[in-house]
Amino acid sequence: MNKILLWFIFALSFNTLFINAQEKFTLSGTISEEKSNETLIGVNIIFPEIASGTTTNEYGFYSITVPEGTYKIIISYLGFNTISETITLTENITKNYSLSEALENLDAVVITEDIEKLNIKTPQMSVNKLTSATIKEIPVVLGESDIVKAITLLPGVTNAGEGSSGFNVRGGAADQNLILLDEAIIYNSSHLFGFFSVFNPDAIKDLKLYKGGIPARYGGRVSSVLDIYQKEGNSREFKMNGGIGIVSSRLLAEGPLKKDKGSFLFGGRSSYAHLFLPLFDLNNIAYFYDLNTKLSYKINDRNNIYLSGYFGRDVFSIEDTFENSYGNAVLNFRWNHLFSDKLFSNLSLIYSDYDYDLKLNFVEFDWVSGIRNFNVKYDLKHYLNDKFKLQYGLNSIYYKFNPGDITPTVETSGINPFKLTDKYAFENAIYLDAEHKISDKLALSYGVRLSTFHRLGQDELNIYENDQGVVFNEDFQIYEKANPIEVANFKRSDVIEKFANLEPRFALAYQLNSNSSVKASYNRMSQYLHLLSNTNSPTPLDVWTPSGKYIKPQLLDQYAIGYFKNFNNNEYSLEIESFYKTIQNRIDYIDGADLVANNAIEQSILNGEARAYGAEFLLRKNEGRFKGWLAYTLSRSEQRTPGRTPDEIGINNGNWYETPFDKTHDVSLTGSYELNDKWKLNANFIFQTGQPVTFPDSQYEFNGVIIPNFGERNSDRLTAYNRLDISATYTPKPKKVNGWKSYWVFGLYNAYNRRNAASVSFRQNQDNRRNEAVRLSIFGIVPSVSYNFKL
Amino acid sequence: MKNIIYILFIGFCLTSCEDVIDVDLETAQTRLVIDAALNWEKGTTGNNQTIKLSLTAPFFDDVIPPATGATVFVTDNFNNTFNFIEDANSGVYQNNTFIPVLNRDYNLTVVYNSETYTATETLLPVVPIEFVEQNNEGGFSGEETEIEAYYTDPENIENHYLFEFRRVDKNILDLEVYDDEFTDGNQIFAFYSDEDIEAGEELEIRNLGISGPFYEFMNILLQQTDDDSGDPFETQPASVRGNCVNQTNPDNYPLGYFRASEVSVFTYIIE
Repeated sequence: MNKILLWFIFALSFNTLFINAQEKFTLSGTISEEKSNETLIGVNIIFPEIASGTTTNEYGFYSITVPEGTYKIIISYLGFNTISETITLTENITKNYSLSEALENLDAVVITEDIEKLNIKTPQMSVNKLTSATIKEIPVVLGESDIVKAITLLPGVTNAGEGSSGFNVRGGAADQNLILLDEAIIYNSSHLFGFFSVFNPDAIKDLKLYKGGIPARYGGRVSSVLDIYQKEGNSREFKMNGGIGIVSSRLLAEGPLKKDKGSFLFGGRSSYAHLFLPLFDLNNIAYFYDLNTKLSYKINDRNNIYLSGYFGRDVFSIEDTFENSYGNAVLNFRWNHLFSDKLFSNLSLIYSDYDYDLKLNFVEFDWVSGIRNFNVKYDLKHYLNDKFKLQYGLNSIYYKFNPGDITPTVETSGINPFKLTDKYAFENAIYLDAEHKISDKLALSYGVRLSTFHRLGQDELNIYENDQGVVFNEDFQIYEKANPIEVANFKRSDVIEKFANLEPRFALAYQLNSNSSVKASYNRMSQYLHLLSNTNSPTPLDVWTPSGKYIKPQLLDQYAIGYFKNFNNNEYSLEIESFYKTIQNRIDYIDGADLVANNAIEQSILNGEARAYGAEFLLRKNEGRFKGWLAYTLSRSEQRTPGRTPDEIGINNGNWYETPFDKTHDVSLTGSYELNDKWKLNANFIFQTGQPVTFPDSQYEFNGVIIPNFGERNSDRLTAYNRLDISATYTPKPKKVNGWKSYWVFGLYNAYNRRNAASVSFRQNQDNRRNEAVRLSIFGIVPSVSYNFKL
Repeated sequence: MKNIIYILFIGFCLTSCEDVIDVDLETAQTRLVIDAALNWEKGTTGNNQTIKLSLTAPFFDDVIPPATGATVFVTDNFNNTFNFIEDANSGVYQNNTFIPVLNRDYNLTVVYNSETYTATETLLPVVPIEFVEQNNEGGFSGEETEIEAYYTDPENIENHYLFEFRRVDKNILDLEVYDDEFTDGNQIFAFYSDEDIEAGEELEIRNLGISGPFYEFMNILLQQTDDDSGDPFETQPASVRGNCVNQTNPDNYPLGYFRASEVSVFTYIIE
């Protein structure tokens, strides 16, 4: 199968490369924003006469090779003035363009601003793009603009409920999302247990969410890729912007290091300490902060370097009893080098670290865990001609996992010091991706990624009979921890276990007419890291663990088809997609597994599988005073863990059960309306099927207490979730061009104060001794206001 | 650990609230519940023992039906048989000739509705509760009464503990289980906290020696019964099976457990 695929790629490449032996020239360069010189991602460069074109890459670079001749070219980008000019190509030309922001002229009937327009021609499907501007307009709880909350309004994206961290794409788990910030992997995307995401929207330039048809240049997670790019900073003049909100305040400064050559960007955000503990007059602290920094320098036309950093942290402490802090730190050096006007390269050297520290003074111990990695990426984009583009590269990641280290906080502590065994691993990948325009109507993209994972030597690895860390007790019909038969020790250079996976990717687009197309895609992906979490949504203290002797890599196969249409002169776009995916080796946990401070996690897990399927519908209105989208998803997300032999019962009797993030129906309606040049109104409405939960099906008395007895896993549901949020943006002096510019955002979250159930728990009332069901709802109606400024 | 996060989580929500709602629940088939605990309190003969048999009931029912008319007996491997006689259709079966011996295996047999259920457990010793400390400014609010009941874990052997904290006046029982994975050989405490217990109230603290499998069993049960069940950090709940096996019809499995423990009792008056 794989050989056939490679042969196919080779045959197609040969055809394209060598048969058209006509004189061709290359137009290439960088496209940036006029005032700040900030490069722009995804700008269209179109040759309308020959129906050809390209877009700028993540670094603002474009390159297109066409036959000799004189052409009209159009350079267009959302919210910017279009450049239209005639160019004569009798030699290779390097030309940089600057686009100026289209000033909103409300006297004109149509505002040709943006939302992200739909590209029906490229084979890339299942992708959603959002700009920082769009994200900032979406009304959110407490007025804090939030990337993760914004993407959950897109079809196929949900999360496990209010106050749950992470997000779920097409029925995948939160640990199956590859979250990249300037190419660096982010391990924990949430502040304050999930109420806010770690990304400061001021520092973000652009993001793309790949839900399917994921190109071969991405790997390591099976569900989705959230690819976020930070701004480089203004290399023309010094600028500041910021905001003051209920929860946090932000300040971002950017400016030239050397005019048009180098720039810096420094952004900070911090919540107010004590904010969440207003009711208690105690010495409590709860806050988060993050810092985004970036230095960019253009050495010459062929070389750019970037140094970027991200540091985020959450800190809590309650009196002297409890101290907790955790966060990500990322440091990233990148070098863009242009080998020729057709061959663009980027080298990234990335260090990333996530650590978690919990000090419980009342039980007198300190707990530290973390993951640290070094990541080298080398990516090349080869713009061979206007019909064929190759991307290839390699990636190596070295991981060190610290699953936990317990130290007593006082000498008299009853806790013994304990170090869980550190784990080490090395992940490598090479990939090749081709974008191939076969004809005016048919475009293909195909590629393959070869990934390998080496679990390196560690101290103290348990060895079990039959390699099974969990045994089945046939008498009691329960799973129990197995006793190790020996403990092996390894040198760091040993390889305990290795895996290799070939991951083919394929996508095609067939244009039905100038406004509509159909697309199809297939991708296989593998994931070697697993977040150990047996709760409904991940918590900051969940630890990542590598594949190895007892945990196999997760393997995904996803198929998707879709229909795409622009209509009414691109004013509206429609996307309909359907997907089916299966995941092998999804780990599941035996009943009562305690995953924290567990040095033998293989004694608590079994290997299962997951599957998800569904249909997504997205209608957008892209232009005009009223803009917005309607997203609807019909889907199912399930997993099961059958017994390993016919005598075993498996988890949940081996039956398929719905995952906590399964939402049969998920509707979101997001809209903005430009009332006049001072006021802009935004609203979103969300309706979702209630979350799957397990309710008791009986009760009994044991050891003097009432015990609820639970039935089939996740066979009940909370009541449907729905909510309306509204916000208004007020710009007092919209015509002001220079100096201090400001706007206010007033918001109302959950406007009709619906008490959505975050959970229902079952307990005995201590006073009347009767059993009752108790609903927890998190956010009622929440008003907010924030003040934002630019200088 | 999860509970602590949950407390924080609630504390941080400005507008979160809890209310009692009506929920329609399915009702599963009725099962036998075996609540068989042989407890030997230090300093007593341990001759009087009680085993309770009951049935599962719909969750919102106020009454738990007893399982009456069963034949119940415990044997050891020294040819002793202790018959448990029901106290007038109450589901409570009693014996007053029991001979407790530490580390001895005991076998339980229950015959109910012509089906035979069996289980085996070892009577495990326990260390005494040495002293109790009280802190009146504990917890998240700073107003909770915290009780620490100290004991010394025997070194180099795996031990498991069940602690019962009973507010005698109100008959409110709180259970905690502990292992010694991180505390082997140390003086350590069992922890209880209550926001409305008052000075002068009597708190009966019992420490029971339990087996590893019973620790696992009880740990899951307690996770599913405490007030925090259903929160986002909760593990997936499931029906928890114990060590009693239906020999006649294995599919009609019972709930509950057969355990045998030495018990250390400490009566504490709240200050």
